[in-house]
Amino acid sequence: MRDKYDFEIKYRDQILKCSRCGFCQAVCPVYGSTLRPACNARGKMLILKEVMDGHIDLNDELIDTLFQCTTCANCYQNCPSGVNVPEIIKQVRKDMVHIGSCHPAFTGMNEVLQAHDNIYAEDEPEDFERERNKQARYVYFIGCVGGYREDESTLATLDLLDRLSVDYTLIDEVCCSGVLEDVGFQINPRLVQLNIERILTTGAEAVITGCPYCFRTFNNKEQYAPLKEKGVSIIHISQFLKNVAMDVTTDLRVTYHDPCDLGRHCGIYEEPRGTIRKIAPNFVEMRHHHADALCCGAGGGVRGAFAKNSIAMARRRLEEAEEIEADVVLTECNSCVHNLSNAKLRKQKFKVCTTTAFINELMDER
Amino acid sequence: MEDRIKEALKEIVGADNYTEQLIDMVSYSYDASEHHHRPTCGVWATTVEQISRILEMANRERIPVIPRGAGTGLSGMAVPARGGIVLDLNHMNRILQISIEDRLAIVQPGVVYADLERALAQHGFFFPPDPASGKVATLGGNVATNAGGVKGAKYGTTRDYVLGLQVVLPDGRVMRTGSHAMKSVSGYDLTRLFVGSEGTLGVVTEIILKINPKPTATSTSMATFDNLEDAGRAVSQIMHSGIIPSVLEILGRDTIRAINQNTDLNLPEVDAMLLAETDGYTQAETEYQMSKIMDIFRDNHPQQVQQAQSEAEAASLWKARKSAYAVLARIKTHFVLEDVTVPIGNVAALLKGVEEIAARHEIQIATFGHAGDGNLHPQILYDGYDPAEVKKMEAATADLFRLAIDLKGTLTGEHGIGLAKAPYMTLEHDAAAMEAMRNIKKLFDPNNILNPGKMALEG
Repeated sequence: MRDKYDFEIKYRDQILKCSRCGFCQAVCPVYGSTLRPACNARGKMLILKEVMDGHIDLNDELIDTLFQCTTCANCYQNCPSGVNVPEIIKQVRKDMVHIGSCHPAFTGMNEVLQAHDNIYAEDEPEDFERERNKQARYVYFIGCVGGYREDESTLATLDLLDRLSVDYTLIDEVCCSGVLEDVGFQINPRLVQLNIERILTTGAEAVITGCPYCFRTFNNKEQYAPLKEKGVSIIHISQFLKNVAMDVTTDLRVTYHDPCDLGRHCGIYEEPRGTIRKIAPNFVEMRHHHADALCCGAGGGVRGAFAKNSIAMARRRLEEAEEIEADVVLTECNSCVHNLSNAKLRKQKFKVCTTTAFINELMDER
Repeated sequence: MEDRIKEALKEIVGADNYTEQLIDMVSYSYDASEHHHRPTCGVWATTVEQISRILEMANRERIPVIPRGAGTGLSGMAVPARGGIVLDLNHMNRILQISIEDRLAIVQPGVVYADLERALAQHGFFFPPDPASGKVATLGGNVATNAGGVKGAKYGTTRDYVLGLQVVLPDGRVMRTGSHAMKSVSGYDLTRLFVGSEGTLGVVTEIILKINPKPTATSTSMATFDNLEDAGRAVSQIMHSGIIPSVLEILGRDTIRAINQNTDLNLPEVDAMLLAETDGYTQAETEYQMSKIMDIFRDNHPQQVQQAQSEAEAASLWKARKSAYAVLARIKTHFVLEDVTVPIGNVAALLKGVEEIAARHEIQIATFGHAGDGNLHPQILYDGYDPAEVKKMEAATADLFRLAIDLKGTLTGEHGIGLAKAPYMTLEHDAAAMEAMRNIKKLFDPNNILNPGKMALEG
């Protein structure tokens, strides 16, 4: 008899409590864009049930479903039986990697972070024309997507922080590496150590993150506990801005896309909306919002591994922005901005950007 | 299955719309029941022509074809019990027409109930039979099951709204039944024959549905009773009162206890809780109806009667009922959700009988359901990995079906027969009725290729 996989040891009862009602199918972004029931949470739990029952074994044939999950947690939110699918999937991916079964894009991600300091393997980071590693009250932590793919967005955020006279510094940041835990690997101690040292050297009282995923990693992963132990708090830029007075407004029709990492995973829904309502009285929600928001399709390694479906998920989200005739889609995550912008069709004239970049633009226009 | 048949399927639907991958085969083995069996392959069909060609070939080659919607059924209806080809209809998901002046909507089978509901809401209309799985269930599945919902008491079930169908028969012919008209007595009612036929006679590819204007006002109330008989009498008296509530739900003692053990709702642990909703077009109208219902509650020794004064209060009253399924789903690894239905006057007797069955077999059965149309959902909770518990569950199920039939009721009010209740068909239907059903099956599907093994049609 084979040894039990860790996912069985940890999650057997939960997997068996999936009653196959299929309610997850209504909200799963992968199902929504593929209409392939094997890929929704029920399909995944059935696979794991059959593995536990000895009918099939973990192997490469299962990669298309077990590695195709954005970990958006909409299924968990809607599961009558309370099955925490994203956590189960993360554990199964580790079991898969352990036996040598993994999507090549995920293996590649781990290899890149062994050899480089960011997920794009770019060794020359943008300096954003700012001094780094200063003594300051806050560290602004950009994140890989903001640093290497959405640099204009980041530059605008930094301009806004300057306009608001925030005492912050950038650091020689490296990938928080939290994503490795989602794709079957372990958080990278080398990168953790570098981030902790560089943050603590600044004497900052708080880290402001631009990326909701880095925010989750710093707050929830025990490897980053030394930050809190040294009295450094972690806040997301949307929390930082909620009490800041903004003396700009727009008449444009503005909507807000909840990033899964900030919304369903951290319960932060109102801070961004509070800020947006101050600057955009003509604020309107999309059909799915708050805890029901649709995923942009980028998370859980899906953008890298299943690019076509990832874009299809983003298109479904953008259709909702089109439906309410929005002029601007704001969000609080550069990864969402990146995927939604890539998926935007020519006929979709609305703009997609972060709240901070949009506020900075309004200030530019003033 | 021979390679030439697989190649022919790929040629019909396109290689991208054909699968025999393990992950799809596992997924298509199940529905929301405890039954499962692997198919040989699956196809994502997109046109009537494709379905016609698939069936024509399957009929010639004697290969089972199992039409499938969202797979949310609770009776094993979509489980490929004999293997074969799963015909996934979710890609045929277009609302073809909404005609308010004709009071109808025409849809493809893969349209999700909630998507039609949203489209109709823009016109102030709705399609009343709303299964609990409406967010995900497809209308093709609803037609195949003749699905019901919480509004059955006033608005009936899917069958009452289907005006006509396009169906592909097992030999590949495309047949139209019914019409676009509100009324028709033209020939045999083939439409009604196909609604609830569980995919055993043909594949539904287009559905003409009657739609209703959506009532704009509702009133909601709740009453608890220390004695089941009092609750049962209240339900009967409501039927006498001339008021038809849009919803009348009941929660039994075991359900209430389970909710209390698993939530912070702190419900009174009574024999029964009744929840009522009335609907109409003015608040005065719904309040008048509700006042009659509450008078009846008060006449029957309630422990408590409460009317919601706002939408938020109504939502809070509904919380207990809405949490029932989720709470019960978490207690044991397995459950069977039954849907026995009895004449409304026998609801209290059914509840009492279920409690006795649970005690006799030493198994937990929590009951809730639609008191307003006599359709209850005893949920039998057990550990499917413990053979002793499985035995108890099976014995309790058999007793439950006998009880429903003894009370002049039926095995199933809205979930269908499928595999789960097939062994009990003869309990409800006499030899002549069974023979008639089997002859109808032979007439349409002489080679038994469509969803074989269901509804005891082969006996």
